Amino acid sequence: MKDFRIHAYLRRLERHLWIQGFADRETLTEIESHLFESMESGLQQGLSPEEAERSALERFGSVKEMAAMFEKERNPMLQKIFLVTAVVAGLFFAYVDSRPTWDDTGILAGGILLTCGLISLLGFRRPWLLGLAVGAWIPLRGILITHNFGSVLALIIAFVGAYGGWIFRLGIRKTFHLA
Amino acid sequence: MIGEALKGHLDLLLLAILAEGPAHGYAIIEALRRKSKGTFDLPEGTIYPALHRLERQDLLHSHWLEDSARRKRIYSLTTKGRQALTQRQDEWKKFSTAINATVGI
Repeated sequence: MKDFRIHAYLRRLERHLWIQGFADRETLTEIESHLFESMESGLQQGLSPEEAERSALERFGSVKEMAAMFEKERNPMLQKIFLVTAVVAGLFFAYVDSRPTWDDTGILAGGILLTCGLISLLGFRRPWLLGLAVGAWIPLRGILITHNFGSVLALIIAFVGAYGGWIFRLGIRKTFHLA
Repeated sequence: MIGEALKGHLDLLLLAILAEGPAHGYAIIEALRRKSKGTFDLPEGTIYPALHRLERQDLLHSHWLEDSARRKRIYSLTTKGRQALTQRQDEWKKFSTAINATVGI
């Protein structure tokens, strides 16, 4: 099977969208359909297959432009609010963990897990960034100041919560056919 | 410059194109180019994030059509979309009349 440049373009776009938190197969199918229709139109106008494909991709716009446009259309202010909330929560957990009188790791782990899960579930689209925003502070302090490498566990818990909430939200969207 | 100016009015243009009947993304772009005699020549991908947003706002509805060659997502106006189009057309008339009067056209 011929590997079209269009397929390479779609793979790059899928990666960009995935990083941004979009996992929408239908959008990629729609774009693929558009690009091949555009290429066919070029062929009908007498272009060579290579020229028709290149022209279709040029007219469509670059991967970066497309990813930026999808990002812009998806409520960026709300995403910023989620991110600030996540950073504040992460700093709060790190502060609590640093208190000499605090020794209830279970409550802290539960708090990190729930916070990440909830923010993801509410619509934050970058689980990897959410995991870092909430879970990076405890290991940062733990490793740099007290050389406690076990504190990396907080980061792992944050990632589990962030991806758990994200997967759950995708499941809800798929089940109820939400945009 | 036209491309940049156009982005602010893309919703109105998309709604107006779809008021003539359901269409998929490529046909919408072709209609935009044809009706504007080539003046509205945006990067074609520009319309998809906008179409998806209009659908989330319930101004458009989409369904998939299994064409002989490929799947196509067909967009059509909802009742709310028709109302939004009428409202935006009125706003545009007022706006363009004011601009024309100001610049002396």
